[in-house]
Amino acid sequence: MRLLLVEDEEKLARLIKRALASERFSVDVAHTGREGLELANNYDYDLLILDLQLPELSGGEILRRVRRVNSNVPVLIVTARDAIAEKVMQFEAGADDYLTKPFVMAELLVRVKSLLRRGTGRRENVLRVSNLELDRLTQQVRRGGRIIDLTAKEYSLLEYLMANSDRALSRSMILDHVWDQGFRGATNIVDVYVRHLRSKIGDEDQKLIRTMRGVGYSIREET
Amino acid sequence: MNVRSIRFRLGAWYAGLLALLLILFGVFVYVTLERVLERNLQETLTKEAQTIGDALLSKIRQTGDAYVIDEIEEHFAPRTNSHFLRVTREDGSVLYQSGHPHDESFDPAAVAASRAGDPVAWHEENAPGTGKLFVYSMTYTDSIGTRYAIQAGASNKPIRTVLNQLLVSLAVALPLIIGVAIGGGILLMRNALKPLRDISDAAAKITSRNLNERLPKVHTGDDIEQLTASLNRMMSRLEESFQHVQRFSADVAHEVRTPLAILQAELEALLDRPELNTESRNAVSSALEEAGRLSLIAEQLLEMTRLEAGEMLSTASRIDLADVTRGTVDQMRLLSDDKQIRMTYEGEEEVPVLGDPIRLRQIVVNLIDNAIKYTRPGGTISVSSGTAHGNGFLEISDSGVGIPQEAIPHVFERFYRVDGARSRQLGGTGLGLAIVKSICAAFGGTVTVQSVPGTGTTFRVELPLESNAPANSGFTQKYPS
Repeated sequence: MRLLLVEDEEKLARLIKRALASERFSVDVAHTGREGLELANNYDYDLLILDLQLPELSGGEILRRVRRVNSNVPVLIVTARDAIAEKVMQFEAGADDYLTKPFVMAELLVRVKSLLRRGTGRRENVLRVSNLELDRLTQQVRRGGRIIDLTAKEYSLLEYLMANSDRALSRSMILDHVWDQGFRGATNIVDVYVRHLRSKIGDEDQKLIRTMRGVGYSIREET
Repeated sequence: MNVRSIRFRLGAWYAGLLALLLILFGVFVYVTLERVLERNLQETLTKEAQTIGDALLSKIRQTGDAYVIDEIEEHFAPRTNSHFLRVTREDGSVLYQSGHPHDESFDPAAVAASRAGDPVAWHEENAPGTGKLFVYSMTYTDSIGTRYAIQAGASNKPIRTVLNQLLVSLAVALPLIIGVAIGGGILLMRNALKPLRDISDAAAKITSRNLNERLPKVHTGDDIEQLTASLNRMMSRLEESFQHVQRFSADVAHEVRTPLAILQAELEALLDRPELNTESRNAVSSALEEAGRLSLIAEQLLEMTRLEAGEMLSTASRIDLADVTRGTVDQMRLLSDDKQIRMTYEGEEEVPVLGDPIRLRQIVVNLIDNAIKYTRPGGTISVSSGTAHGNGFLEISDSGVGIPQEAIPHVFERFYRVDGARSRQLGGTGLGLAIVKSICAAFGGTVTVQSVPGTGTTFRVELPLESNAPANSGFTQKYPS
């Protein structure tokens, strides 16, 4: 998979490139709009990541020019501008997703993968992490064969964690997926739910849900 | 009535001027009429005296005294006409003197006599009762030199009667005319001021949310057109500076967010290094947490800027506040249970308000989160929603620590903390209540607080019911281009 990243902040570009590379993507980086458009026109990329405020040519302009000749390539906008009007305008111009700075790198990775149709995490009907099992059809959760009774929110939280297992998920990502943006003011709702979930799935003895301090949570097999 | 209003002042000036003009006109008519009538009377009297001389006395030798007297009586009928006539011979004896007039306006005997040879003269005498007697005196000399004094007089009573009638007519007509004129003037002014009122109504409809609208152009070529054009120019300047502010905050956001993104990404990358020892890992994690908080503050500040700019209203639709509240209470119950706080909800079946589900949820979440933070274990939080006085309301009461009286006016200010150290420890950005207030204001509502320290606090949010909300269907979101 070959990706094009157009970002004028060299530091940020380097960090994004490193994170994407660690997921085995090959990434070309352009620091100006003109350079970005040239690369986008000359190579067949699988995905474009565009900043909006760029020297020479804005990200929005690149998007419009690329869309004239190529309507298929997925485009992720990464920008500090987040007025609703701005978002609507970019979506109308053909953007597929929109991520506001600052963001957690894990979130960028999740979105990139989802745009590349690797899906939002795992697609199977039965998700497994170690001896924890979640059946999306019957909405049943078992650990070591024992059925665990969860509330609707606890189930959604666990499903989101398991669908993105081995990946660090930030609190705001969890909030936005399991609750909605309206809950951002609730300081510790994610932490409290995770704590309850942990005790229900018997995580005291065999830890599956890890706290990623400063980031959020992740579910993974013990190593 | 507002005495300082332009309508009242214009009307008062207009009525005053009209009254003054009408009074001047009345005086002019009165004086003119008086002079005309008096001159007519004098001409009549002069003619009578001359006629007596020329037509009768000239032939007195042939006709005799008695004939002359008869002729005067018959021709001039002084008694019926209330005229005074007297003819005196050269020796002072009276040839003829008219009798008492039928209206008794004067006493003929009392009128001062003139002598033959006196020059032509006018004099006035006070008649008994009211009024005056005008008397014309002349000397007639016949062909052989015999002289007679002739006097003709008349009371001014008929003139006075006419003039009095005029006065009465004026006294009745003047107020009537002024009254009609004022009434007409008010109507006229209402019509004349209508374009002004239209402009004012149209201008009142323009707020920060539809600054791109302009007053309808008029082509009257007068002050109204000028006023409209000036107002439109002013609004263009306002819109420009408004957009400038919005651009500025977008730029600031960009300038703050990009370094934050780099900071966060660098720290995350650092955290992935396996060679990091525990101490360093904790330090990096802590820095990452603070970077996250800084991001949240930047995000919330920007969101408030946008709320204040009215951007949110474009997404407003009919939302059931009771449903949002009920659902949020359920979803946050775990948080209150966790702290052994009893949280209850009661409310009406449906409370339809105009809003945006995410923003309304944010209100409920921020207030409940706040209540949980400041209520001790074992306390209670009661949440209710309903309708009252055309508004939908949401009330959240806790049995918490309360807010000191002097802090109450400030709790909705950005970054205000009642007890700085303690509340910072509890987390949050210090913007929660400020955001609640901004959201309420953005949707035309209010938020108020009542608190008794040590007993508890009640926050009450009121939002216009969807059916009562100001129409905003005409508002269209303007995209920057």
